[in-house]
Amino acid sequence: MPAPEAVRVAIQRDADIVAARQRGREMATAAGISGSDLTLIATAISEVARNILAYAREGEILLSVESRDGRCCLQVIAADEGPGIADVELAMRDGYSTGKSLGLGLPGARRLMDEFDIVSAAGAGTRITMRKWAR
Amino acid sequence: MTDGYNTPPAAQLTDAEVERRRRVFGLTAEDLARIAELRSAVVDHRAEHTAAFFDHLARVDEGGDLFRRPELLDEARRLKEEHMVSLVSGDYGRAYIEQRARLGALFGRARIDMRGFLSAFQMLIGSIVRRVAELHPTDTVAAMDRVVSIRKLLFLDISIIQDVMIAEREQMILNQQEAIRELSTPTLQLRDRLLILPIIGLLDSFRAKQLTENLLRSIRDRRAKVVVMDITGVATVDSKVANHLIQTVAAARLMGAQVIITGLAAEVAQSLVTLGVDLTDLNTVGDLQGGLEEAERLLGLETRRIGSA
Amino acid sequence: MAVPILKQGPVLIATVQDALTDRDLIQLRDDIAARVGILRSTGVVIDVTLLDVLDSFACRTLRGIAETARLRGARTVVAGIQPDVAMSMVQLGLTLGATATALDLEEALEALMGVGEGGIGAYAGS
Repeated sequence: MPAPEAVRVAIQRDADIVAARQRGREMATAAGISGSDLTLIATAISEVARNILAYAREGEILLSVESRDGRCCLQVIAADEGPGIADVELAMRDGYSTGKSLGLGLPGARRLMDEFDIVSAAGAGTRITMRKWAR
Repeated sequence: MTDGYNTPPAAQLTDAEVERRRRVFGLTAEDLARIAELRSAVVDHRAEHTAAFFDHLARVDEGGDLFRRPELLDEARRLKEEHMVSLVSGDYGRAYIEQRARLGALFGRARIDMRGFLSAFQMLIGSIVRRVAELHPTDTVAAMDRVVSIRKLLFLDISIIQDVMIAEREQMILNQQEAIRELSTPTLQLRDRLLILPIIGLLDSFRAKQLTENLLRSIRDRRAKVVVMDITGVATVDSKVANHLIQTVAAARLMGAQVIITGLAAEVAQSLVTLGVDLTDLNTVGDLQGGLEEAERLLGLETRRIGSA
Repeated sequence: MAVPILKQGPVLIATVQDALTDRDLIQLRDDIAARVGILRSTGVVIDVTLLDVLDSFACRTLRGIAETARLRGARTVVAGIQPDVAMSMVQLGLTLGATATALDLEEALEALMGVGEGGIGAYAGS
């Protein structure tokens, strides 16, 4: 059975984090990604999903296989309508956290992926787009 | 893929790309109509055109391995005759392009280079042009118009073959690089639970990543407790490489193994300290011999010279 | 899914069988803390061979377990972290602090029981 091109995982409970990273692994495999990159992706998804639960209580993870110039990538979008982040630059600094975590989550996820983009403003929710390319 | 006649990925074009290529070469509906008129000149004499191509290659000794490998030669001749038929078929979509790419890939495998291919293709064009001219013995302008039309298509063919040959060449270089990388990061088992990893040459970030993956897998597969990583043969260690080494050591430690680094040159150590790289997490020992002694101490072994008291 | 905890002599062995939710991890932390006290264990092994992801929360919880156990008199060894998992932890900037690690369960038990040369390479950060 061919893998679907896009998958949406609602994030409402901590079990959803596990589901999101498992779907992420499957979709990444479908994008032609293999080896240790699969673990890096699953871990990055875990971090952004956890971020949704911790700050927005609920949101969703959208996984899709994209291609550009004949290369494939897994795209992960983590979106919520929570309180948003007032100072994105500050939040992306290592060690910064307003919540219960160690503040490694977002900057860490950025290091694990090839591309990382975050759009957020206070009161306007957060949307993180990350990509990992097949080698 | 080293064998079989699969279409190389470089030629797996989308319909839009095929369309674009036709536009670039200026292939209009008028051209297509003229080409269709040339059916007899091309198809009826396809054996002759094909021979012009291969005879030239044989004569100037530019055929690479083609004439030493009959199975390749037969296939090449067959594909070339097929080419002559589809050249005037009027359908120049994806199937046509894929057919060209397959022949290009075959030439690549036979190690025919661009020079050989172009000179032979030029002979093929000459052969076709002569037959086209015969169709219009008195009307030079009409003959020229038809030659111009079919030449557009033939040059489009060349552009595809060239792409394929370049892609094959690039793939070959990539494969060789891969082989060199594999060769240059061997993990050696010195004794039970002890691995040595001599690193030689330039450590770029790709190779560094691969080296780490190899090392960590070796640790698991050979149940290593101590790894001696010798970097005497690494010419430059910049802060990026140093950070990578630090990460590798940390990852090995998470798996339950210790890494000893040996052969860090004095000036390299100096420059890393100046750069502000924190080396406190690295267990470094001056040279390989010292590193092995430290490793054996960690493993609870002691090296003693037999016979001396 | 709850993590089964076995008692072998003075050592508790927790073998993670499947992907863990945050709740499972907290449950594991509380279970180990309780049993170390009741059984007067001197060592704890957490075998994570089957775990395919150790993110910041899991890592912090493991450290919490080790620290709690230490305060109650038991040493903790985390065993079986896989190569890919180790690499992604390092890239995330995660460490297990002073928690000991071992290649597998056998190594971990050896380190805790003091068999052979006992636990070399096991102590991270020492």
